[in-house]
This record gives sequence, C-alpha cells and structure tokens, in this order.
Amino acid sequence: MVRWVKRLTTTVNIVFLFAFFLYGRTGIATVGGVVNLVWAFDERLPSSIRRFLRVWALMINTAFLAYGAFSGVPSTLALFLAGSSLLSWNAGLFLERWGDAPLTIQYQYLRQLGTRVALGLLAGLSAATLQGHVTLFFLPVFLLMSAAGFLWLRIISEALKNRNPG
Amino acid sequence: MTRAWSVITSLSLILLLGGLVLKNGALLAVALPYLLFSLIPFWRSLEEPRLAIERRLEPHHLWGGQPCHMTLSIQNVGNNLEEVSLADVLPAGLRGEGDLKYHGRLWAGQTETLFSIVRGVRGKYEFSGVKVVTSDLLGMSRHEEFVPSAGTLAVLPAMERLEGLKISPRRTRVYTGAIRSRESGAGVEFFGTRGYVPGDPLRHLNWKAGARWDILITNLFEQERVADVGIILDARSIVEVRADGESLFEHSIQAAASLAEYFLREGNRVGLLIYGRMIEWTFPGYGRQQRSRILAALAQAELGEHAVFKELERLPTRLFPSESQIVLVSPLLPRDVHMLRYLRALGYRVLVISPDAIAFEKLFLPQDEYTALAERIARMERNATLSKLRRAQVNVVEWDVTLPLRIPIKQAMVGLKRWYAG
Repeated sequence: MVRWVKRLTTTVNIVFLFAFFLYGRTGIATVGGVVNLVWAFDERLPSSIRRFLRVWALMINTAFLAYGAFSGVPSTLALFLAGSSLLSWNAGLFLERWGDAPLTIQYQYLRQLGTRVALGLLAGLSAATLQGHVTLFFLPVFLLMSAAGFLWLRIISEALKNRNPG
Repeated sequence: MTRAWSVITSLSLILLLGGLVLKNGALLAVALPYLLFSLIPFWRSLEEPRLAIERRLEPHHLWGGQPCHMTLSIQNVGNNLEEVSLADVLPAGLRGEGDLKYHGRLWAGQTETLFSIVRGVRGKYEFSGVKVVTSDLLGMSRHEEFVPSAGTLAVLPAMERLEGLKISPRRTRVYTGAIRSRESGAGVEFFGTRGYVPGDPLRHLNWKAGARWDILITNLFEQERVADVGIILDARSIVEVRADGESLFEHSIQAAASLAEYFLREGNRVGLLIYGRMIEWTFPGYGRQQRSRILAALAQAELGEHAVFKELERLPTRLFPSESQIVLVSPLLPRDVHMLRYLRALGYRVLVISPDAIAFEKLFLPQDEYTALAERIARMERNATLSKLRRAQVNVVEWDVTLPLRIPIKQAMVGLKRWYAG
C-alpha cells in the first residue's frame, strides 16, 4: 500500500509542478516534471541510484516550490507541493527500510505520516491565511481549525501515552 | 537522528532563514511542514531497547563441514519497539544460512526465535553478540547498540580412522595394552623359553623342547602394555606450503588428530606438543576426555613464526617420558635431521609422519619441464634427508596428502615390523 501511496504522491507532484506552467514557470515545470516522473518509477533502479534520486528529487522540489513561492506562485500551490513531496520522500524511505512490511504496520505508518504532513500543511496554510495569501471564508476556516485542533489533540495524547507506557 | 532527519532539517532551516532574510511570508509558510517534520524526534523520543538474547548451539563441538544448529531467542523485556533490526554478528570464518537477521516490530514481552545453520573450517569461534537497530516508522530517529550474546563453537579437525600402526617404545607403562613390552608375562606373542618352575601352567609347557633336552621347559609370552606416546605437530611457518587456498598444515593437523585418536583407542597415554608460534603442550592422558582435549588443542592450532622456535633444536625433550615413543608430524627440513638424531640418542623411539610438500606444491604448478626439473632437485634433497633419518633409525612414513594416511602407514608397516623385530 505504501508503494502505491508513493507512486500516487509522486504523480501528484508532477501535477502540481505542471500547474507552474500557468504562472509562466515553464522551465521549472519541465525539469521538475521529468525528475518526478523518474522518481515515480524508480523501483527497478539500483538501490544506490534510488537513494540518490530520492534525496535530490526532494531537494529539487523544495528549491522549485521556494522559488515559486518567492516569485509569485500562490502559496497554497507551493504548500501542497511541499506536502506531497514530503509524503513521497518519506514513503520511499520506508520502502527502502521495510519493503515487505505487514499491512498493519503499513497502516500504522501511513497514519503517522499523514498526521504529521497534514499538521504541517495546516500550519503552513494558517500562516498563509494570516498573511492574507488565502481568502478567508467561514466554512473552510472552520473545517481547517477543527481538523487542526483534532490533530493536535491526537498527537499530544499519543505523545503522553508513549511517555507513560502501561 | 538519521541522515534523513539531517536532510529535512537542513531544508527547513534554509527555507526559514530564506523567508526571514528576504522578509517573505510565503517562504516562511512553506517552511512550516518541513520544520514540523524535523521536530518529530523531539516530541517523541525513541526508547532504548531492552532485549534479552539467548544463544543455543547444537552441537558445541563439531567436525569440519558438519552443520551446527543455532537458535537465537530474543525477548523484548522493555517497551514496545515499532521497528527493530537485528543482525547476528558471526565470527570471521563462519558461514551462516537461515535467519541471521530480523526486521520487524517487537512488542513488550514478545519473543522472536531465529533458526540458522552455521558451518566453518577448523578453529574455535567466540560469538560476541547481536547488532540491534531501533528506529521510528518515519525514519527520523535511530538507536544502534550491540547486545552481547556469548557462545563458543569449536570446529574440530577432520580425522581418519587408522589401523595397524605398530610402535615399539623401549619403555612401557604398567597397564595392559597393545604394545609389546619386551618383558615376559601374560600375553599372546611368543617371547622365549625357560625351565619349568612349579606353579607354571601346564598348557605352557613346550613338549618338543622338553623332549629334546629331557627337562621340563615352559614357553614364555611377551606382555602387551600401554605406552607413552608424544605427538609433536610441527607448526613452524617455515615448513608451510600454501597454494590456491589449500594448506599443507591442515593435512598435518588431520594426521596428528588421526594419530592421537588411534593411539588413545589402543589405550595408550598420549600427549600433544604444538611447536611453532610457541610451545603448546597438552599434558598426556588416557581415554575420551584426552581425545577431546587434544582435538580442542588441534582445533586452535595456528602456524607461528618465532625466532626461538625456528629450529627443532628448542624441542623440550623433558616433556616426554624417557624412552617413550615420539611421533613427529612434519614436512621436515634438511636441518631437522640433527634434532631427530639427538632424540634417538636419548633413547626415544621416533616415528616421523611427513606430508610430502613437493607432491603437494606440484599440484598447483604448471606441468612443464621447469616444474619437472625443480621437482627433481627438491626430491633429491628430500630423499637425502629421509635416508639420513632412516640411517639414524628414525622411522619415516612419507605421505602424499592426496592419498589417505592409512595407505602409506600400511606400506611402511611392512618395513617397520622387520625393523622392530631386529
């Protein structure tokens, strides 16, 4: 399952990078798209190349989204690209360590990963909203705030549970 | 922390600093998901693993090539471990098959058992422990430690069952055995005759001799007793021949083990001296325990290069009872003749089992005229050495190691019987 999550998020990266076309960043979109396309189907490559590609794809995506955010591409697009890049990078990392993990472990891993990335995205979106990059409507703000509060509570309770086992 | 954590933290800091320096809010907002990811290890610290590892080896002692079944029981006596990697660290020289690694989770109280088969060449192997790596599922933090789990495995040298090797030391021990003692008494071999003494068993009367001399004559029989046998294994580096991963020394060890097993089976008191790196002495003894001691010593035998023990002259003769049997297992050097003559002069019976270094080395050389010429020259030198020894009444069994040891021993025994009779 993690394998499919990785494939899917890498494809989403390509979609987000292609959205850069709309803002005139054709070079970034093309280079980023090609790198992510190779990354999406890197399973048959040797592990050393895979490892190299994973780190460099993340760095390239980060560099492109930072440049995009700096040069006027909407923050939300950059943030979603950051979120999906983190997801595919960490999924690749997990697959390398534990490619044949049981399904229960994969679920547990995806829950942990999803929580962290969602929380990061929400924090980023909140920051963008505060800066006026995102137009505020009641319903999305309410939903986002509720989701963020729920996630915070989950993480704090999980941390407390792990500190006092038994 | 892991390398992945370093990458993500570096990226988050670059974005953060970039946002602050350029006073760009969008960059700061983008930095937040990265920053949160890099903070994971701080809000959820990784527990140190507490594992109880037990190693079982079945059997502890085995012959070269024989498999040893190893069971490794790992119990988590601490808290839950989400992801743990275990790798058994095998001593150098051992080969393992089966479960030597484990990757998975270990809940508190859970026990995992790993089964594997290990094989090795002759030697003594000390297991040290298991490398344990724990990490969180996201791969952001990692803890590595070495959990000791001791175990000892002795791979004994291969042995050959020998038969019919006769020795005849001047002095024997008091217990009944298989070696002719040169004294009359209870035995089966005819020793001589003497005048009848009341009390002599009538079935021992020699009627033919009595008829000839007109007196009663009794047959005497030679007592058969056990003897002291000292086996000397030549472990000097200077006599070693090694080619294509094959070692002549291994054949010498095999010969020493076979001889020790044979002499102990015959009831003799056997000691072992490994002469090379230093003097490694296994005190003489009888029976199975002594066999185990000798095989354990041979399992650990190594070649050595020591200025003091470069020549056989330093052989500590006092270790061997006077007039006992000494068996030297050595490829021999021409200059060793002097010491072997000296041993004979001291009254020891000396038997040399000499693995043929020339025939062994020839196996790994190109079969051309140069090799043939070199072999001829070396063979002449060796023959001269062996004939010097034979003249000094040292029994020599020359052993082409491609053949089983029992074959040259059988051939040599024909000549030796004649020699012992004299």
